[in-house]
Amino acid sequence: MSGASVSDNKMSARYSLSEELRALLPQTKEGLKLDFSEKIEKSVVVLLHQARELFYEGKKNECLKTSEIIIDYSWEKLNTGTWKDVDKEWRRVYSYGCLLKALCVCLKTDDIPEAIRVCDMGLLMGASILGNILVKVVNVLQKHLQHGKRHSETRIEELSIKKTRSDSPMTPAVKLETAVPRLQCPSLEFFRKNYLIPQKPVILEGIANHWPCMKKWSLDYIQEIAGCRTVPVEVGSKYTDEEWSQSLMTVNEFISKYIVNEQNDIGYLAQHQLFDQIPELKEDICIPDYCCLGNGEEEEITINAWFGPAGTISPLHQDPQQNFLAQVLGRKYIQLYSPQESEHLYPHETQLLHNTSQVDVENPNLSKFPKFTEASYQSCILNPGQILFIPVKYWHYVRALDISFSVSFWWS
Amino acid sequence: MEGLPRPGWFGFGFRGFGQALGSERGLRGSLQGPEPLVVGGLGAGDPEKDAAAQVTQVRPSWSFTGFLTRDGRLVLSGSVNGQLPGCRDLLASEQHLLVLRTETEGSPAEMQAWAAAPELRGTPLWTRQILQRGDPPNPALLPLAPEPGWYVRPMQPFSQPLCPDLKARQLVLGAEHALLLGGMGQVYTWGTGRLGQLGHGALEAELVPRPVEALLGLAMAQVAAGGWHSLCVSEAGDLYIWGWNESGQLALPSRTIAEREKTVAGGDGELYTWGWGKYGQLGHKNTASLDQPQRVDYFTDNLLHVEAVICGPWNTYVYAVKGKD
Repeated sequence: MSGASVSDNKMSARYSLSEELRALLPQTKEGLKLDFSEKIEKSVVVLLHQARELFYEGKKNECLKTSEIIIDYSWEKLNTGTWKDVDKEWRRVYSYGCLLKALCVCLKTDDIPEAIRVCDMGLLMGASILGNILVKVVNVLQKHLQHGKRHSETRIEELSIKKTRSDSPMTPAVKLETAVPRLQCPSLEFFRKNYLIPQKPVILEGIANHWPCMKKWSLDYIQEIAGCRTVPVEVGSKYTDEEWSQSLMTVNEFISKYIVNEQNDIGYLAQHQLFDQIPELKEDICIPDYCCLGNGEEEEITINAWFGPAGTISPLHQDPQQNFLAQVLGRKYIQLYSPQESEHLYPHETQLLHNTSQVDVENPNLSKFPKFTEASYQSCILNPGQILFIPVKYWHYVRALDISFSVSFWWS
Repeated sequence: MEGLPRPGWFGFGFRGFGQALGSERGLRGSLQGPEPLVVGGLGAGDPEKDAAAQVTQVRPSWSFTGFLTRDGRLVLSGSVNGQLPGCRDLLASEQHLLVLRTETEGSPAEMQAWAAAPELRGTPLWTRQILQRGDPPNPALLPLAPEPGWYVRPMQPFSQPLCPDLKARQLVLGAEHALLLGGMGQVYTWGTGRLGQLGHGALEAELVPRPVEALLGLAMAQVAAGGWHSLCVSEAGDLYIWGWNESGQLALPSRTIAEREKTVAGGDGELYTWGWGKYGQLGHKNTASLDQPQRVDYFTDNLLHVEAVICGPWNTYVYAVKGKD
């Protein structure tokens, strides 16, 4: 192939990317609606109008600068107060900033990974705008991303054998008396009467084992679908530790740094609504039918991804909703305590951690927490294809025994 | 040949709304290095000379800045424009301007709240008279309660009396917290604490002022606050900083990017800045963020002695006089 025709191909590829992106947007600037509640300061609305105008006039440099200001100012609002109290309007402003910035970055510099990163920031921190346009933009961008050779073609089973962490404890034994019961495909009514109403944990088999994710998901597949996407990662052995922190990185970086390579730190892609960010993965999972036994709507069910190396630990804690924990890759050791045992579990007294026990379940300090030995519990090893029902406010402790991917469904 | 800049006000950092910052008016690109401040609309005579001579105080918000002049005017520049005569001070925010109007014949000093709008027009949202010691309490008749079960409480909203022995010297506000400096140099903090900005060793919120125990016994001379961090400087000249270290504003090695800057005027008139620098607000002619204090050489190079620093959200105003040769 001659040099000229290679660059021709590149030019036409670039042309079609900008065409595809513009096709996602309204034809005229008036079509790009900028409606905000009075909560958004007029000076910010002025900037948004300016940025929109600059974009439609093709003034990418200036639009980029204005978008940065919008992003930086709204980011400060997003960081003021508790997250649940952040006004959705500010999150929308943030998303608009990210949208315009991503488009300008892409059209100006061709830096597609950066444009995807910016879209991801809008998806992670912002709120849906223009019919969830950021997801559509990422889809277009990903199509045009050059797929380079991936370093690791290693399969998970091989990795599990290769990686024996020097400090990893043996697989815990699950005593028969304390084992969580298992049921094969119970009827809705049976589950409701015997487990949901009395609020008892149970492992459901034969439900999730046919989900597409069970056959499809592997490190390779995840990297292929989501490798370039930015996700939040928890770094540190437990979220109760002082050294614990959160950080943003691409899925490729996460896998390379915390799953494939020997690392001192534990990294955990935990409690992240990955399936809102990457709808393609949502098609590989299903919502358990039993969720319809609840009061809430299906749209209100929170689906979280939990993906990490062996050894990730969620300290003993309780959640305010019912939970179906579906195991996809690897195994997890789980210990469960009824809410009635709360007195024996020494919850933290601070507002921030009042749903978390102070006790390290697998290594309890019994002189400091003597009543812990009186707490009765159940335990299990959750295998791929199984779903664990964790009743609302039921205390649970989770440790991954292998490289693990779980999907949790929080419902009411 | 260009001479050294004259003593007076200088500015650098963000001016995305055209707020007066440096010497060229109307420009919106960030100023990455200090420039002499020029404020339009200050009256007859040489405008540049007037600016240097007349501005006594600078009150920056994010999208506009208020300048208080020697003759008592408030001059606004940026997303809010206009002038107000008879002003002594301003508390500027993106929603409101709280102005302290001076006494004029017949009217006592009063506080006025104006909505932040492109032009200040009409009347303020509300006014409140400043009570002097010895003023009789307001004997206004209370209206009859409209319905059974209603009651009237003659108290200002959000009024929180503090301990009378406290003798507050200085009060500064962060995004979600407040610092109070007491008459004996003791520091109190309250508000949300989730980023460590209260300095009480945990992340709990405090509803009322609580003394910072780690500083007990040290007399502080001044307190300051950024969005989510706190500072104080002791009588002996030691600087203490705590809170969110996102951009190195604690002058400790930080991990990632984005937030407010910090500046300190040294005893010998040198200015040091560190923290978030994306909009040039550190004044080092670039947009780098720093986690170590660095001297702003512009002032030493131009033989200027820094006397005051005012940190806006994303920019900085400095008052400097002629230094010793």
